[in-house]
Amino acid sequence: MHIPDGLIAPQVYLGAYAVAAPAWAYAVRKVAREFDDALIPRLAVLTALAFVLTTVMVPLPGGTSGHLVGVGLLALAFGVWPAFLAYSLVLVLQSLLLGAGGITVLAINALAMGLTGAAVTVGVFRLLAKVHRPAAAVIGVWLGVVVAATLVALVLGIQPLMGSDTEGQPLFFPFGPAVTLPVVVGPHLIIALGEGILTWMVLSVVERRRVPA
Amino acid sequence: MKDRLLLSVWLVAVVGITFIHDPLWLGGLLTAALLLAGRATPTLLKRALIAIALVNIAVSLGFVLSASLAGEPWGLFVLRLNLRVLLLTFLTLWLARHLDLVRAVDFSRSLQFVVVLALGQIKTFQRLLTDYRMAFRSRSLGRPDLATRARSAGRQAGALLEKAELQATEVNLGMRSRGFFDDRT
Repeated sequence: MHIPDGLIAPQVYLGAYAVAAPAWAYAVRKVAREFDDALIPRLAVLTALAFVLTTVMVPLPGGTSGHLVGVGLLALAFGVWPAFLAYSLVLVLQSLLLGAGGITVLAINALAMGLTGAAVTVGVFRLLAKVHRPAAAVIGVWLGVVVAATLVALVLGIQPLMGSDTEGQPLFFPFGPAVTLPVVVGPHLIIALGEGILTWMVLSVVERRRVPA
Repeated sequence: MKDRLLLSVWLVAVVGITFIHDPLWLGGLLTAALLLAGRATPTLLKRALIAIALVNIAVSLGFVLSASLAGEPWGLFVLRLNLRVLLLTFLTLWLARHLDLVRAVDFSRSLQFVVVLALGQIKTFQRLLTDYRMAFRSRSLGRPDLATRARSAGRQAGALLEKAELQATEVNLGMRSRGFFDDRT
């Protein structure tokens, strides 16, 4: 779901940084208050966990598999703000250590998946948990991933409006929402279901072993 | 200092490149980057091409098709998009090869600790995951079905989650015992 560098107009990604900066500052303050001295080790371990979770394969029907996004699991286990910070750091590490993803689009990816995706997951889970916890986790994660994918698709979809050259050809990503929404969101309707089921399986294992989650 | 400078120059370059739309300029900059990377060029170029292939081919072909059907020009866009994305990816891979991230973030002691600890923990978690995968493979006679693979993936992620809880406590105690928090008020 990551957007790579070079497809997004500066006015959009710089705007995203302007939105993400206060969110990161608030997250650091909130997480520091919560964890106190344990902030650094907690954040480091969560970042490592988020990094490695993305390498866990989600089995899909037909013998194929995809990668876990892991934000929903992190958010349900540790809260929205720790998940947002850890996921943002993962994006930095992926970009600077592996050359994967992109630094200009980091804020967009972090806001879409790390913050909005995590917040939707936790919000829906809290709303439905009293009725049916497993369903709440699956639906929460599914919706979190789908909403994040929709945001990414919309950001891509507005790029044709960000300018064109003298021949009328686009300067950045060329397709509007009519193309990006089905192409980006469509596959995630299924991938997110696998992620949701897997998230619930993990949480139920952890809860059974009575490790605080 | 060298790493911080490297990181800053790369950041300015990456942002600057997204403001350039002339394929001639982008091509010139890409040529310069390929020449400056020296002996690493073939390896980095191959990695960059593999990294961008899927997205760039899909976007380029899609645009060529839709523009052709509408009778509109497409060459300039395809050239611009591919040169820009390739240049940015090549520069990022070049940076990843040369940057010592721990030194680059030495302006903040806390951030430096987070990065050092996270990199160490990533290795620990990766080893755990490899152990789980190899154990699962060694216990499977044939190709496991979907439910079995799902259970295994769930156990892997569950083990990571538990390990993370324990590691966070352990690292915190280790830092405390070494006096890391003593100079804080």
